[in-house]
Amino acid sequence: MPRTQSINQNPLPDALPDFRSLGVTLRVVLLVNGMALLVAIAQATSWPDIAQHVLAISALLQPVLLSSLLLLFALNSLLARLAYWQGAAAMLLLVVMVTLAIYHLGGDLYAPLIGYGHFHLWRYALLSAAIATLLLAYFRLRSQALSPALHKARLQALQARIRPHFLFNSINAVLGIVRADPKRAETALQDMADLFRMAMAHEGALVPARQEMALARQYLELEQLRLGERLKVNWHTENMPDDALLPPLMLQPLLENAVYHGIEPLAEGGAIDIKLYRSGEEMHLEMYNPRQEQDSHHAGNKMALTNIRERLALQFDLEARYTAEAGKDFYRVHIMLPYVREETP
Amino acid sequence: MNIVELPLAVFVVDDEPPARNRIKELLTDCAEQLPLEIVGEAGNGREALDKLSATHADVVLMDIRMPQMDGIELAQHLNKLPRPPVIIFTTAFDAYAIKAFELHAIDYLLKPIRLGRLFDALTHARTAVPLRTEVLQELMPEPRKHLSIHERGKIHLIPIEDVLYLRAELKYITVRTVEREYLIEESLSALEKEFAARFVRIHRNCLIAKDAIEGFEKGGDEGESGWMVKLKGLDELLAISRRQQHIIKEFS
Repeated sequence: MPRTQSINQNPLPDALPDFRSLGVTLRVVLLVNGMALLVAIAQATSWPDIAQHVLAISALLQPVLLSSLLLLFALNSLLARLAYWQGAAAMLLLVVMVTLAIYHLGGDLYAPLIGYGHFHLWRYALLSAAIATLLLAYFRLRSQALSPALHKARLQALQARIRPHFLFNSINAVLGIVRADPKRAETALQDMADLFRMAMAHEGALVPARQEMALARQYLELEQLRLGERLKVNWHTENMPDDALLPPLMLQPLLENAVYHGIEPLAEGGAIDIKLYRSGEEMHLEMYNPRQEQDSHHAGNKMALTNIRERLALQFDLEARYTAEAGKDFYRVHIMLPYVREETP
Repeated sequence: MNIVELPLAVFVVDDEPPARNRIKELLTDCAEQLPLEIVGEAGNGREALDKLSATHADVVLMDIRMPQMDGIELAQHLNKLPRPPVIIFTTAFDAYAIKAFELHAIDYLLKPIRLGRLFDALTHARTAVPLRTEVLQELMPEPRKHLSIHERGKIHLIPIEDVLYLRAELKYITVRTVEREYLIEESLSALEKEFAARFVRIHRNCLIAKDAIEGFEKGGDEGESGWMVKLKGLDELLAISRRQQHIIKEFS
């Protein structure tokens, strides 16, 4: 298969799963217990026997599983700093140590259930190392399978951002003022250049929220030129931390949707409300715009919204939520995602 | 023979002030070689209709995507004027409309508009054939939002949601709202097709608004032993033909 190359497609480096993410933790718990259940079924001689075996396995398995997950949660940022193979080795070592420690501490508790002695000690160390390796392999394969999807989604976001309707109308608007107000036309052209430069920049997975906001403001500036008084925007960003990170190309497409479907069809225009705030370890983005009653214009460009939803799911798994509510005369979007801080250099 | 041509009367409709400004500048540029006069401008379809029923224009340059009433609906209403103007659509980007224009060989200008293209379009305008209403109807992805009535040199717009029933009488169609009746010259079957989501046929000559149905009554009137329908805000009862009686089940 030919590999298509583009500036935006350098693959993500291998990385350990984020042990602080709910999705990862849930998957680990489910998979490990699933394996335990399979073992129990394989050993059992009758239906009630399955439960017996599950209990026997759980006695050692659950403490090991939970303490490992806790430790990994605590050490997550340390592990993330290591190269992939070092991190993987450290994680395996950690899991084996946890197994040995718990087996040792449990001592007599485990002896009658699962036997005692060097053989059993090393048997369980080997088993937990094997399970950990399997899980690592699973997460690696999963991220490899998803990363092209994420890249594709980002690429689509780039394309979706440059909506032809906006581009041509903006150029037309600049032409409309160039003779009467050359200074303003200059500024508008500079805004446009900035907007497209930022839009086409190859961004990482996350960018500072203030950068996203600057881009959004520049975009709104241009729309204001066309729509004038019809477009009003209220920003509520008092409770947004300065160091918050957001996925790139998220805010502006949402705004563009609000302008295109909400404000433009209204003869008197209206106001878009944007609220960005932090609540605990979560970032919230709320956007509200009025729209014409029983919104009638065709199909609508749902592409931008689907794309944002897809990227959030790929990037944050279960930790991001996206809800949209289409009322009779309004539209509201609420996005919740983990609060990721910008690292101070 | 010496024919003095009057300057071409041009009207501009666009919801964006800078876009109107741009067209006016270009028109001024054209005026150096082509006698023309800008007779007015409007920011939406409704305003345009009001102004154009008072002032005649030879050519109307109009945007397609506008609030309240889009360009294609406006064009249909303008066709009812005694001397309908030649319409030139302008659009920045509207894949659907552009495809339709190409299909029907309708001239349109892409924004940003080039002086040369505008000049050509205006030069051909005097000889252009007005767009046929049927073609415009085909271009519309959705039904109109208004019916337009031409009365004593003025165009009235009736929001389609105010219409209670449409009844064919001889060559006209009676449009009934709570307040009064109007007459329009359109075909009932075309209206039925266009507004299928809003109206239902109760008789060979009558469509009623589904939302306006209040109830059904057994009509005791002579001969017509069938059912009658009562509409909200209207005293008069309308007869349902035998063939359409199934609607009683659907709407009661």
